[in-house]
Amino acid sequence: MNRALRRVSLICLVLFVALLINVNWVQGFEASSLASKPGNGRTFSASLQFQRGSIVTADQKVVAYSTMNKNFGEYQRHYPGGAVYAPVTGFDTLFSQTGIEQAENKDLSGTDPALEVHNLLDLISGKPKKGATVELTINSAAQQAAYNELKATGKQGGVVAINPQTGAILALASYPSFDPNLLATLDGNKLQKNDNRLLSDPNQPLLSRATAVTFPPGSSFKIVTSSAAFSTGKYNQNTVVPAPTQLKLPGVSQPLINFDGEACGTGRVRLIYAFTVSCNTAFGDLGMKLGGQKLRTQANQFGMNNPNLTIPFPVAESNFPLYTDPAKVAGAAIGQESDTVTPLQEAMFAAAIANNGTLMKPFLVNKVTAPDLTAVATTAQTALSQPLTPTEAAGVKQMMLNVTQSTSGTAHATAGTQATGGIVIAGKTGTAQNGINNSGLDDAVFTCFAPANSTPQIAVGVIVKGGGQGADASAPIAVKVIQAYLASLGK
Amino acid sequence: MSAITTPSGQPLGADAGAGHGSQPDAVPAPRGRRRTELLMLVFVVGVVVLAYANVGLGLNGKIPAGMFEYGLAFAVLVGAAHLAVRWLAPYADPLLLPLAALLNGLGIVMIYRLQESGRDGNPGNVISTMSTSTTTFQVVYSALGIAAFVAVLAFIRQPRTLQRYTYTLGAVGLVLLALPALLPSSISEVPGTGAKIQIALGGFTVQPEEFAKLCLAVFFAGYLVAKRDVLALAGRRILGIDLPRARDLGPVLIAWGASLVVLIFESDIGTSALFFGLFVVMMYVATQRSSWLIIGFLLFLFGSLVTAELFQHVRDRFIIWLDPFKYVHTVTPSSYQTVQGLYGMGFGGVLGRGLGQGQPYLTPLVQSDFITTAFGEELGLAGMMALLIIYGLIVQRGLRAAIAVRDPFSKLLAGGLAFVVALQVFVIVGGVTGLIPLTGITTPFLSQGGSSLISSWMLIALLMRISDTARRPAPQPIQDEGMTQVVRAG
Repeated sequence: MNRALRRVSLICLVLFVALLINVNWVQGFEASSLASKPGNGRTFSASLQFQRGSIVTADQKVVAYSTMNKNFGEYQRHYPGGAVYAPVTGFDTLFSQTGIEQAENKDLSGTDPALEVHNLLDLISGKPKKGATVELTINSAAQQAAYNELKATGKQGGVVAINPQTGAILALASYPSFDPNLLATLDGNKLQKNDNRLLSDPNQPLLSRATAVTFPPGSSFKIVTSSAAFSTGKYNQNTVVPAPTQLKLPGVSQPLINFDGEACGTGRVRLIYAFTVSCNTAFGDLGMKLGGQKLRTQANQFGMNNPNLTIPFPVAESNFPLYTDPAKVAGAAIGQESDTVTPLQEAMFAAAIANNGTLMKPFLVNKVTAPDLTAVATTAQTALSQPLTPTEAAGVKQMMLNVTQSTSGTAHATAGTQATGGIVIAGKTGTAQNGINNSGLDDAVFTCFAPANSTPQIAVGVIVKGGGQGADASAPIAVKVIQAYLASLGK
Repeated sequence: MSAITTPSGQPLGADAGAGHGSQPDAVPAPRGRRRTELLMLVFVVGVVVLAYANVGLGLNGKIPAGMFEYGLAFAVLVGAAHLAVRWLAPYADPLLLPLAALLNGLGIVMIYRLQESGRDGNPGNVISTMSTSTTTFQVVYSALGIAAFVAVLAFIRQPRTLQRYTYTLGAVGLVLLALPALLPSSISEVPGTGAKIQIALGGFTVQPEEFAKLCLAVFFAGYLVAKRDVLALAGRRILGIDLPRARDLGPVLIAWGASLVVLIFESDIGTSALFFGLFVVMMYVATQRSSWLIIGFLLFLFGSLVTAELFQHVRDRFIIWLDPFKYVHTVTPSSYQTVQGLYGMGFGGVLGRGLGQGQPYLTPLVQSDFITTAFGEELGLAGMMALLIIYGLIVQRGLRAAIAVRDPFSKLLAGGLAFVVALQVFVIVGGVTGLIPLTGITTPFLSQGGSSLISSWMLIALLMRISDTARRPAPQPIQDEGMTQVVRAG
């Protein structure tokens, strides 16, 4: 029987070796991935034992910081920016993290491998462990203006401003918003109550309209349609195109009409004129000539249909599906049908034109600074794509300038130099129809950049849900953001 | 290490004869090695008392009250066990008692740590399923366990005497195993688990399966020793494996059926796997036919798959095992406990949080099935591996006794008991660490509860009795000038 007993010892050895390998796997290799699982109470309560890093804007305004709460013996998070910065900072609770709190958690909590050396030095020198400071690209003046103006409309909406040269996000605001301090409480019952209240609020304040919700782009999409036309080499802003009062669509009884059924000039107009007064029929016809595939390719180059865009937190995908039915292509070419965009995407349209046709990857974090003030990471500026050549971009820019500067332009009254105090803005309005049979209130869209008469410093995308005409509801918000930003640069 | 090995070149037939007449070669001059045992026990008491102090320091920075009393009680208990061994089994393996005592002591320390969580201003939450007297009870159970240990050594002076009670113990084992299934759920169900594995009367609960395990191991050994020649008869040879004759499959099928009955009526997958595994391995040792291992394994696999298909509670265990993180917040199946255990182990990392400084109270019922995860959290990977190696050493010493002992019944019994420890540790530690589907059985010596602790001590006593028999010097013929031979009784 001894031979069998030796075999049994071998079996036992295999069982124990399997257990040993497995505990090594769990506690050695998997420990960090287990620690980062949402809902891991051990990690979370341990994270409250030391000071989480602060979040500051580019102009050093602190928007999130932690202090010791003596009652709980744990660090308490504060969000002095409140609702204004909520779509940027997000929040940090046991069961969920959002925004920068989530995307930069490893830096803020000091667990990023790049911070290990600093942690070790702190350990040796006896200093308490502290998270790294995350510096945003946000400009506090532009951010405040964006939120204030959105709030003044009282409607749901989002504003995003980008530096077209770099991709740095200057403002990112959403309304209705929430106060993240409500979710920073260390009192579990209170947290539960506040969380339930926010989740059950019909206005959905936790939802960021700037990056997490998409809206129809309306006529602002004509920037993409024009770009697609220009890139074929057959069109420029002075090309004469048909612009009937009613555009018959194949297979559909209802013709495509212009805003309020108006005529578009003489029925054959230069593209720049059609763009300036926003003729739907001209662009519907142009879209059908270009085809769904061409429009989709151009939309992709502007950053649409990209589910993987992160800034560093993920952004909702802006959609431009592949249309094959010519009637749908015509509607899609003027930003209707199933086209949807985020306000960030709107800003990216203008930013690409402002930057001579090159679209920079939008980003929200400037740099990460270790507690000893050495920079751990600085975001590199990278180009996302080049939707247009500089010449083609100049053509689109001229058309966008006309929208605000020409007396017949749709945004002349609200974003012309008289309304802006001399700042030259180039932009495009959008008034997107909504609801069944377009019975809902129109969404107001405006995308623009400034100054258009020198190197553009800021591109802004604004969408106000149910705001009516883009020129009326959204353009003034963009103007205020631009004014605030350019004024802060002058200081 | 080479002290008690049989020559490797020995022919199969002679080996199958269970070493009749084959002298275990090169046994050094037999020594009791009780002094080694005593030295290691002193070390064990030291480690346990320091761990106890560590818990208090970790929880609130103070040496815990009662450290002296607990330490003294523990020292007295293991001292008594040691004296009993000196008296009753002087040649027994010197490692088994210290290893078991260390596990028992660390178990008490961890239970104290969990009991104190959240009480008297200590950090953490109070574990509602533990009271302030849980540790005291565990110490009392340890005393009962050591008493049972001494009793086994005192009453069973020769392991072979047990062979006489083969069928009696077999019947007792089956009754113990079946009892919870026959009793109403109010008495036999472990609250909240659906597993009918205990008998709860007047505030005290007994888990009869723990004792059934020992009875059935004796039964299997006695039965298989009697029947092994028949069972070893080969039928056909397929793919290089000697398959048994179809008519000899009876016993393994009965054992399989019984384990399935346990599984179905008591919802206790772990115990079912344990008994079936024990039987198959003992059958293999008795017959030397590896076909029994293969048949047993295939039957077990088939049985588990069919029951998983038929019974939701079995299927849930598989589902959770495949993706524990998916079911953290669902009600059925719920992997909350498993996931908290894994979080705890991950939180402990390589070196652990330190006793009293982790958050094991976040894992529900951590004091019973999941106690190893509490060790993993507070003593880290290092402590976890140390515990596993302690178990491994117990198994190894048990198998060593099995190989050394001459009598085939004792050989089979020791082999079976050692293997059942290995299998039980594998099933429960593998379950809580996510290696295999979780099945709730106790962790020998560590889990809170009396039945497991007492039966584990009895198991150690049986192994020590067998190793004592194996290591006892053979009666030396005293040759007195060729005239008379006096055989000194062993």
